[in-house]
Amino acid sequence: MSYFRITLIRSAIGLPAKSGNVLKALGLRKRMATVFHPVTPSVAGQIMKVKELVAVSEVDKPLTKEEVHQERVPDAGFYVESRAEDMRKKQDF
Amino acid sequence: MFRPTAPLSGGLLWKIPWRLSPMQKARQRKRLRLVDKVVDTVSTALQNNGGMTAKAVERWYQEMPREEEMLPKDKYTIFDRKEKKYRKGIHKLPKWTRLSQRVNPPGF
Repeated sequence: MSYFRITLIRSAIGLPAKSGNVLKALGLRKRMATVFHPVTPSVAGQIMKVKELVAVSEVDKPLTKEEVHQERVPDAGFYVESRAEDMRKKQDF
Repeated sequence: MFRPTAPLSGGLLWKIPWRLSPMQKARQRKRLRLVDKVVDTVSTALQNNGGMTAKAVERWYQEMPREEEMLPKDKYTIFDRKEKKYRKGIHKLPKWTRLSQRVNPPGF
């Protein structure tokens, strides 16, 4: 069982209300929003209605909203060593 | 009226060029290919999940040519019964960057 990863690339502003309603049904409220739906003929039909507006890929499992966000977060450029906290405690005592 | 520009000052001055620029044509081809890619992805995903298929996908493959199969005439112009020689630039079609306009009426 795989999933469609659907991202809204272009807005439906100015298009017939039907396209906007299909996006709403898919859960795409704003541009660059990403949703996951199981691969079924009905979802495929919905994608076909808005194929000019979305980018689609097939993935094995759906990601959560946080995981999708993490893909876009750049590397911090540093990391906190796990022992730093312990060392500070030692100094306090 | 916000700015008294020539097109807004009345008259019939609509500065929409009669043809697309090479860059507009390149972007048009890119958009056509992106739509082809979406349909291909949907079709292969359905096939991989137990050989399913969707009516809309089948119909698309039956009726619509792919970007590389299309004639330049069909990529950049559109049929219009009121035009001389029955063709006008596709950029005259409202919302043309978000529509799939690939085939001509029968006989044209």
